[in-house]
Amino acid sequence: MSRFPDPILEGLARGWKVYGGRHAARPAQLQCDVAIVGTGAGAGITAELLTAAGLDVVLVEEGPLKSSSDFRQLESEAYPDLYQESAGRKTADKAINILQGRCVGGSTTVNWTSSFRTPSATLAFWREHFALPDLSDEALFPWFLQAEQRLSIGPWLAPPNENNELLRKGALRLGIAAAAIQRNVKGCWNLGSCGMGCPTNAKQSMLVTTLPVALDRGARLLVETRVQRLDVAKGKVTGLVAVGVQRDGTAAPGTEVYIRARHVVVAGGAINSPALLMRSALPDPHGRLGARTFLHPVVISSAIFDHTVAGWNGAPQTLYTDHFLELDPIDGPIGYKLEAPPIHPIIFSSTATGFGPELAADLHDMPRTHALLALLRDGFHAQSAGGQVKLKSDGSPLLDYPLTPFVMDGARRAFLSMAELQFAAGAQRVRLAHDLAQPYTNWAQAKAAIAGLPMKPLLTRVASAHVMGGCGMAGQPQLGVVRPDGRHWQVDNLSVHDGSLFPTSIGANPQLSIYGLVNKLATQLARELSGRDVRLA
Amino acid sequence: MRRRSLLQVGIAGTVLLAAAGLGLSLTTPAWQGGRLSPAAKEVIDAVSRAVLQGVLPEDPAARATALLAQLGRIEDTIGGFPKSVQDELALLLGLLTTVPGRLGLAGLTTAWAQASTEEVQSMLQSLRISSLDLRQQTYQALRDLSYAAYYADRSAWASLGYAGPTDI
Repeated sequence: MSRFPDPILEGLARGWKVYGGRHAARPAQLQCDVAIVGTGAGAGITAELLTAAGLDVVLVEEGPLKSSSDFRQLESEAYPDLYQESAGRKTADKAINILQGRCVGGSTTVNWTSSFRTPSATLAFWREHFALPDLSDEALFPWFLQAEQRLSIGPWLAPPNENNELLRKGALRLGIAAAAIQRNVKGCWNLGSCGMGCPTNAKQSMLVTTLPVALDRGARLLVETRVQRLDVAKGKVTGLVAVGVQRDGTAAPGTEVYIRARHVVVAGGAINSPALLMRSALPDPHGRLGARTFLHPVVISSAIFDHTVAGWNGAPQTLYTDHFLELDPIDGPIGYKLEAPPIHPIIFSSTATGFGPELAADLHDMPRTHALLALLRDGFHAQSAGGQVKLKSDGSPLLDYPLTPFVMDGARRAFLSMAELQFAAGAQRVRLAHDLAQPYTNWAQAKAAIAGLPMKPLLTRVASAHVMGGCGMAGQPQLGVVRPDGRHWQVDNLSVHDGSLFPTSIGANPQLSIYGLVNKLATQLARELSGRDVRLA
Repeated sequence: MRRRSLLQVGIAGTVLLAAAGLGLSLTTPAWQGGRLSPAAKEVIDAVSRAVLQGVLPEDPAARATALLAQLGRIEDTIGGFPKSVQDELALLLGLLTTVPGRLGLAGLTTAWAQASTEEVQSMLQSLRISSLDLRQQTYQALRDLSYAAYYADRSAWASLGYAGPTDI
């Protein structure tokens, strides 16, 4: 048990209105000004701003309310408790494993704290191709700045851990620029367990920032409760049908809640938000709903060094290089960002390849292992149109994401770049997450072998921790699902405030892109619904 | 069937098609009430011995204890998934427990309980590099499940040189 104060337990003791799970019984009916579906990055920012405007808010979260007292730095607890599908959510063909939060705070509770403003090139692409002239660096600057101040986003001044230092070392030897990643932390203990929930409350996730403020202002929170559908009549949402969920995700009998709200904000995260709109049979005259869902498909390369790396220790992802995003135009061959992820037993062994004696040697070498990941910037080319959200027979979402040859060409180049960088940093042996890759002991050998690897889905192990798009924003109804103000093109009292808004992937870890854009949208929504001007605290 | 349309069926549908093709009806559930059936345990036990060779304890008694514990951890791990995923895994394990499923899908000629570690490893290797999605998916499901379950427990961390959570 952590000895740290737990702001959630303290809030509950102060009388926060939380229903479901181990908390108060869910009421059968609720009425409010605004119902927010989800409690992640977009929902948290929205809840703080709307409650600042005096609006009566109800938040509905499918996952549980867990907090620092529960966060014991254990993968075996964190994955089933805090992640969608126990951190094993997969695309339809099982070729991509998706890490996505499912708890109060959403992915912000379990992310690795990397904070980037939306890159200029991404915004330029949106202005040109999605009729979004207002999304310029200048126009978004104040919204990002406020979010950064609110969430203590800033430079990380501690030295990088060895896993990240090796990224810098290799990049330096190759003459490639590597830079520091800003983090949303305050008094970080540098434990490295961000992905299992922050046990010291240093990570400034929605769980410990915006949501407590909203709850202190009287917002009501339903946990372990899923919105099954929205009732729509005459172009307006008239109510939300929610139900308690059991540990296996199925509906708990007799737990239905009906919520009436003037306005509804859907912020359940990409994949989930479009799925809710699909279950509700919302109008989709241009076939945009759930389409263009992006993942930043990730490929991984691990390398064994002659010294201890201890990749589980210290802040993850504190250095990066965008060199391979900047080699070509954004709409050219797919580019990729390199980062150094944390290395813990389950995530390491289950994202590696091979088994038995072949893998045992690598597993015994885990302390000397350094890992790089390449996240591919999808969505900027006709052959990188992303995936389509569909519904399983039980109404739960399934993402069909074809890994096209265009994307897999990027994966091959990423393998080459990572291996070259790792050998430049002094790696003794490099292992790619590809089922036909052998361990390589020098760059020339790796270069020749990677050139001949069949870059096929499944054989190539692909993961994702960034789910974006599916309710895309656009300045014209035929180009997207929501308008530039975040409202649904066909249903006026419905807004989408999460990563599903993005018309393409971001090309950087997306949390700050969500905070910044939603800050803008929710401030405007607060004014429209209450007549009051508000800003983040 | 074109590849994309095959994929859209998902693994559950594909397993059902495979089962139908083999003339099977899966009458004994491999997974019920959060527990594996005895036949499914034989599959998991054989797979665990093969996948975890080299990381399991070498002492025979400690090894037997670890393998027994692994069955429980596999059940815990499967129990952590949503019902739709549990159902898929149940279907897959159910198919593997049948003789036609073992022969047709896995390509293993010896019964699970009698198969040697080497036989199971060569079966897994052929699934791993198979050109059929269902066989690759089967390999990855069995392999990933084995490691995720095994390293869920702190008793397995020492061999990784991983000290566990930092005391705060």
